[in-house]
Amino acid sequence: METLQLEVLTPSGPIYNGLAKSVTLPGEEGEFGVLPEHVSLTTLLQAGVVDIQKENGKTESIVVNWGVVQITNNKVVVLVDGAVAIRGESEGDIAKALDEAKSLINSITDSNVMFATVSARIESAAHNLV
Amino acid sequence: MANLKEIQRQIKSVSNTQKTTRAMKLVSTAKLRRAEELAKRSRLFAQKTNQVIAEIAGRIKCSKVGGIENRCFIENSAPETIDIIFVTADKGLCGGFNMQTIKAVKRLMSEYKNKNVKIRLRGIGKKGIEFFNYNQVEMIDEVKNLSSAPDMQRSSDFMTRSINDFKEGKIDAVYLVYNGYKNVITQELHVNRILPVNVESYDCEKVTNTMLELEAQDEEKMLDSLITKYAEFNMYYALIDSVAAEHSARMQAMDAATNNAKEMVNSLKVKFNKARQESITTELIEIISGVESMK
Repeated sequence: METLQLEVLTPSGPIYNGLAKSVTLPGEEGEFGVLPEHVSLTTLLQAGVVDIQKENGKTESIVVNWGVVQITNNKVVVLVDGAVAIRGESEGDIAKALDEAKSLINSITDSNVMFATVSARIESAAHNLV
Repeated sequence: MANLKEIQRQIKSVSNTQKTTRAMKLVSTAKLRRAEELAKRSRLFAQKTNQVIAEIAGRIKCSKVGGIENRCFIENSAPETIDIIFVTADKGLCGGFNMQTIKAVKRLMSEYKNKNVKIRLRGIGKKGIEFFNYNQVEMIDEVKNLSSAPDMQRSSDFMTRSINDFKEGKIDAVYLVYNGYKNVITQELHVNRILPVNVESYDCEKVTNTMLELEAQDEEKMLDSLITKYAEFNMYYALIDSVAAEHSARMQAMDAATNNAKEMVNSLKVKFNKARQESITTELIEIISGVESMK
């Protein structure tokens, strides 16, 4: 199975760096998926959830608030302002990440609809983990 | 005897200084570790952001993406007004760290003055601000206590003022001068032109046929928000890089000072011993000659 190289970077350091089977990004004009051998593209992201399908079949979700993505030569670089990865060893850790993610989204958007949509996505991502 | 006391006082004073400089060195070493870590983590993001921007700028230059007339990407050969932003430390005692930045700023200023370009100076960091105030160089913006504790919000606010002026056409270029961290013993002076984006080094031949997909209606909006983030982040990165450099410079300066103090204490000790021997000899001679005269 082909994979793509994915990097998710924030000003305070990388959040994800590795191979992935596919990645779903919250673009300005709607969600879009990227598979290996995608055409080159540079576009803006809005607040939302980045879903990564990892090489081992597991999925990982990262909540971002703003960003830009550059896709070139099977390499996806996601530059974001703030990001929280929904992952953790225990349920407590995950719950903590959830809270952080929600406050991140809350801090940048005053639209309730947007907050609700993203929150729902975050919740479902967390459910898949547990 | 007065001489002996004087030397003793000096020895004490120098070893006290040595204690202070040693403590300062240790503090800087600890702070450096933290600042270095922060700078390292952000470096990747800074590089990638600049890469993305350079790529876009390059494509615009090589007119692979037509119809974009954003000021931020167009080379201006005859600027009228420019902003120079400099970052220095808030504190001294770090060797030539601040002076290097100040000198670079002065060089840049005289270079543009010769071309009759109006310069607006905007400073971060007490030391640089004090220097230019003392020399009666006018500054339009002064921010203190930011370079010792970098803060994304404050640095963005600061940078936004320049970005807005640039977008409105009040200024034609924005330069950023700071002393960055290279490794523990070297600092690297950076004089970067933030706006317009530097595209000179971009080689059109190298542009591959991979398309940059920009949608017509949002390309202006996208470039706008991208360029703002790029400038803001560069400013922030300059600050954290500068903090790391400041600590490494201070560490070195204090290390040198400690060593110098050590040497000085040693030479003073030799001097003290000589003086002591001398005074003993004189006393002995006095006693002996006293005894001789009694005979």
